[in-house]
Amino acid sequence: MLTARLKENILDAEWRARLDLKFSKSNNRTILSHRKHYGPLQVQKPFYPELNGACHVYILHPPGGVVGGDRLNICVDVNSKAHALITTPAAGKFYRSAGSVARQEQIIKVAPKGTLEWFPSENIIFSGARAQIQTKIELSHDSNFMGWEISCLGRPASDEYFSKGELDQRFEVWRDGRPLRFERLWLKGDNPILKEKWGLQGFPVVGSMVCVNDKTGLVDSLREISFSSNDQEIFSATQTDGIIICSFLGKSVNRARSYFIDAWKILRQQVIGREAVEPRIWKT
Amino acid sequence: MVGIPVTHTLIPTKHKKMISGRSNGSLRLMQLCSPMLPVGAYAYSQGLEFAVSSGWVNDDRSTSLWVEGLLENSLTYLDVPLLSRLHKAWSTGDNESVLYWNDFLYASRDSRELREEEKQLAHALARLLDDLGVPGAVEWRGNSQACFLTLFSLGASYWKIPVEEASWGYLWMWAENQVLAAIKLVPLGQTMGQKILSSVIEIIPERVATGLSLRDEEVGYTAPGQGIASALHETQYTRLFRS
Repeated sequence: MLTARLKENILDAEWRARLDLKFSKSNNRTILSHRKHYGPLQVQKPFYPELNGACHVYILHPPGGVVGGDRLNICVDVNSKAHALITTPAAGKFYRSAGSVARQEQIIKVAPKGTLEWFPSENIIFSGARAQIQTKIELSHDSNFMGWEISCLGRPASDEYFSKGELDQRFEVWRDGRPLRFERLWLKGDNPILKEKWGLQGFPVVGSMVCVNDKTGLVDSLREISFSSNDQEIFSATQTDGIIICSFLGKSVNRARSYFIDAWKILRQQVIGREAVEPRIWKT
Repeated sequence: MVGIPVTHTLIPTKHKKMISGRSNGSLRLMQLCSPMLPVGAYAYSQGLEFAVSSGWVNDDRSTSLWVEGLLENSLTYLDVPLLSRLHKAWSTGDNESVLYWNDFLYASRDSRELREEEKQLAHALARLLDDLGVPGAVEWRGNSQACFLTLFSLGASYWKIPVEEASWGYLWMWAENQVLAAIKLVPLGQTMGQKILSSVIEIIPERVATGLSLRDEEVGYTAPGQGIASALHETQYTRLFRS
């Protein structure tokens, strides 16, 4: 039997990275009041492109991808009245694995009256990858959260389809200690979910966006959004129990993003009362 | 539902002894799973009406793939393991776990429509169980996040229906309801409906065994196409089924 110490050493041999971020309100702006990183996960100096002092932060992972056995942990804390927007400039790549599982875990806490906009780039799950990606959002009744998760199975541009491997991707939203939304995309390369109509319908790109807010009627304007696509892609919006859920199934990461950005622009105006200001990096 | 003959073939020979013995659990299971149960499950299609209107489901084969695919995946990894956890929690008086697993299921429902269905059915079943003298049901009549499965498990636990049979019954009831919807929507003939249900019967025992063997961290499943279909059904122009 392995001792705890020995287990720890084995785990250390794998590529581990951890990033802790804390945002606090200070005078008229939100500052990155705490940051600690271990391994190759970093943040750049915050940007302040908005008049209200919202703090825009880019999370970087210079290795650019993760392989079996890697473990990435990101913890984000947004304190009361702070307002942060987080994005990642590059896609998260999960490479083919010889056997071990690559794990990414993200724990996000937003205090009462805090606001977080969580807009990472897509995750690309290479065929043959074994990936476990878990995001847990813990909110209180009057915190604001908007965020999305976009996944691309295989690399359709290079005609690589996700025909083997395993993905277990969980996205959980909790409010005041109660579950508000659980999503779990759980599949293997030969699973019917990839092709069937109740599943991914053969599409490589799946995305969902959530906005947590109790205002009613927010979904109506989202249903007006249209985009041009001749690929039979589908998207939907629904609102229930203080959460708005937008879903996308299609061929293109860019179209998923542009649908969610449109939704974000509408929701931000109505929920936060401010116009959306796109992070500079999106324009490059 | 009216005019559609339904044959229950739930009770395999090995369980016949239970009926002749003192337990009437299997009869109680028939009562809980009967289309006559006044909860209104027949009014909902769980995305199937949208799937038919978009041509995703358009014949017997695509109906089978929809119904069996959801049963073999979504219900096997979500509903069945939660039924066993809820059944155990009710049987041991563990109210905290009842609430936790109820919330887990409710949060896993992807659209307003799917959540409304859970609530409507749960409230109706809570009222009925209370009227039938089942303790613990009354508190759920007004619970704003109640799931049908939670109340179904309460009935199963109270009437001592073993969890495996209760799971068979729950999956059967779900599949029967979907096939009834398909008969109206696709449409399909009655015999075709029975053929689909016959193949569903073939897969239920193995899927229940899988669902009951899962560890807590293995519980949970999202079927994106069904979620999107039910969300889009909310604004579908003409509908036979409720939203």
